[in-house]
Amino acid sequence: MATAAAIITRPTTLQQASLWSDAWRRLRRNRLALVSSIYLVLLVAVALVALVHTPYSYREVGVATPYSGPSGANWFGADILGRDVLSRLMVGAQISLIVGVGTQILVLAVGVPIGLLAGYYRGPLDTAVSFIINVFYGIPDLLVAMILLLLLGPSLNNIIIAIVATRWMDMARLVRGQTLSLREREFIEAARASGAKPLKILFGHILPNSLGPIIVQATFGVPAAILFEAFLSFLGVGVQPPTPSWGSMAADGLAAIRIAPHMVIFPSIALSLTLMAFNFLGDGLRDALDPRMKR
Amino acid sequence: MPTPILQVKDLHTEFNTEGGVVKAVDGVSFDLYPGESLGIVGESGSGKSITALSILRLVPDPGRVVSGQVLFHNQDLLQISGEEIREIRGRDIAMIFQDPQSSLNPVLRTGFQIDEAMLAHDKATKKEAHVRTIELLRRVRIPAPETRVKDFPHQLSGGMRQRAMIAMGLANAPSILIADEPTTALDVTVQAQILELLGDLNRDLGTAIVMITHNMGVVAGLCSRVLVMYAGQIVEQGPVEQIFENPQHPYTWSLLRSIPRVDALRHERLRSIEGLAPDLLHPPAGCRFHPRCPFRIEKCFTDEPRLEEVALGQHAACWVTMERARKEMDADNLIDIRPGAGSGLRKGEITE
Repeated sequence: MATAAAIITRPTTLQQASLWSDAWRRLRRNRLALVSSIYLVLLVAVALVALVHTPYSYREVGVATPYSGPSGANWFGADILGRDVLSRLMVGAQISLIVGVGTQILVLAVGVPIGLLAGYYRGPLDTAVSFIINVFYGIPDLLVAMILLLLLGPSLNNIIIAIVATRWMDMARLVRGQTLSLREREFIEAARASGAKPLKILFGHILPNSLGPIIVQATFGVPAAILFEAFLSFLGVGVQPPTPSWGSMAADGLAAIRIAPHMVIFPSIALSLTLMAFNFLGDGLRDALDPRMKR
Repeated sequence: MPTPILQVKDLHTEFNTEGGVVKAVDGVSFDLYPGESLGIVGESGSGKSITALSILRLVPDPGRVVSGQVLFHNQDLLQISGEEIREIRGRDIAMIFQDPQSSLNPVLRTGFQIDEAMLAHDKATKKEAHVRTIELLRRVRIPAPETRVKDFPHQLSGGMRQRAMIAMGLANAPSILIADEPTTALDVTVQAQILELLGDLNRDLGTAIVMITHNMGVVAGLCSRVLVMYAGQIVEQGPVEQIFENPQHPYTWSLLRSIPRVDALRHERLRSIEGLAPDLLHPPAGCRFHPRCPFRIEKCFTDEPRLEEVALGQHAACWVTMERARKEMDADNLIDIRPGAGSGLRKGEITE
C-alpha cells in the first residue's frame, strides 16, 4: 500500500524535488533539530526584542537589592550591583549571537576562497596554504586570541577577529578537501571544455556542490565561537563591562556562588541551551544534507 | 579539397608517471575539413581521447602536450594564452563527454547550465540565453523543453541528459564538435537516436564532428572519414566506405572482423583480437602491432612503418598491408575460421 501510494504521488512531487527541498524534508522529520530550531528562533526573537525593550536597563545599578534572588519584579534576580539579571541575559544573547554568527560569516569569507583556490590550483599555492594552516593549528587557540586582544584591545569587533583567527583553518581545510575531490569530477572537465572562466568554475560549480558540508561546518562553528567568547569574557579579556556577556556574568556570579547561585546558574543555562541547540541543529543538518543518509 | 578547418600536426602527448614516460599520443597528424564528420577509433588506451583532449589543452595531470601543432584559423592552439584557449573552448570547438550522468553539474538546473555555456562567451544576455536554451533543447528533441529547462540533471533520463549535453555543446554554434564516446554509457536504442541526432546536426548545421569511439558500428553510421589509432599512433586512415570495404592495416582488418554480426551462425564465438593492447610504458619495437599481428614479417620487429598512401585517400602504416597478406599469405583463410576464430586456432584444429 505504502509503495503504491508513493508511486502515485511521486510524479507531482518530482517537479519540485531538489537537493534542498529533500534536505528540508529530512530536517523537519528530526525532532531534536526541530526543537532546537524553535529554541534558536525564540533566542533570536529575544535578542531582537532586547534592542528596543528590556524589563530594566541592563546597566542601571540598584534596580533591586544586590544579590537578591528571583522575584516577581526581577524574574532571574539581581547581580552584585543590583542590576536585573534577565535584562542582562537578553542583551547577552545579542552579544552571543553576534559573536557566533559574525565569526562564522568571517570564517566563511576567509576559509572558503582560500580552500577553493588551494584545492583547485594545487601546486605551490596549496603547499603554502597548507603550511600556514598547520602553523595556525600548532599555536594554542587561547594564546592567539589573548595576544590579539591585548594588541587590538577588547572590543566586540576585535573579539570576533580573534576568534576567526583561531577558527578559519577548519573551514579552509574542509573546502580544500572538497575542492580536491570535486575538481576531478567530469562535470568540472565539461565546464572547462565549454570555456567556463576559472572563477565561474570555483564559485559556480565547485562551491554549490560543497555547500552541504560547509553549512554543517558553519553551524557547528557558531556554538564553538559562542563558547570561546564566553570563555574569553569569563577570563576578563572578552566583552568589557558594563556590556553583559553570558561568560562575564557567570564569572561575576562565581564569587558569590554560595550566597547567590542564580547569578551563575541562569547565564550557564542560557549558554548551555544555546550550545546544545546549535549542536543538535548541526547534527540534523549533517544528516539531512548527507546524500548517503537518503531514505 | 577545401582547406581544413583544423590541422593537427605531429602531436605528442606524454604522461610522466612513476614508472616512466607514457607516450599516450605519439606523432598524430590529421586534418579536419569544414562540415565533415571524422571518426577516431581504437581500443581503450589507444590515445584517441587524449588526442581530443590535447586539441583543447584539457589533458589531465600529469599529462602534457610535449610537441606538435594544432592549427585552427591560422593559430596554434598549443601556443596561445590560457585566456585565448578558454575563449575557443565551447565557442569554436565544443566537446561532449562519455557519461552524461556525471558531465552535468548535479546541483544546477539543466537549463541554467546551458545558459551558462553562452554567458561564458558573452554571446547573449541572460534573457536571450534562456530563450535560445529552450530552442536548443527542442532542436535536440527533448520533449516539453519549457518545463525541462527547470529540471535538475537527476530528473532526466540518460538519453535526455546526453541530448542536453549536446545542446550545451551546440549553444555557441561551434564549428567543431568533439564527441568523446557519447553513446557508450547509453543503451542501444538510445545510442541509435543520439547518433541519428548527431548526424542530422552535422548535416543541418554544418558543424564538423569528431567522433571518438571504440565502436566500428558508430563510425559506419555517422562518419565519412575515419582514423584508426593503435598505441598512440594512427595506423590507418581514409574514407569510411573504402576502409570498411578494403582495410589495409591488419589491425583495422581485425577490428572489422570482431564486429558482432546479426547473421552470424548460432554458437559462433565472437571474434577478438589476440593478445593485449601494448604496454605504453614499454611499447614494442618496430611496428607496435607486431606482437598481435598474424601477418608479421621480420622487418616488423625492428622497423617502424610510416603512413603510406595505399589507395586514393587511404593511408596505412604497415610493411605488409592486407593486399599482400591476401596474395602471399592466404590471409582470409589463415585465421578466418568459423568457430573460435578469435582464439587463434587454425582451420581444422577445431574439435567440436
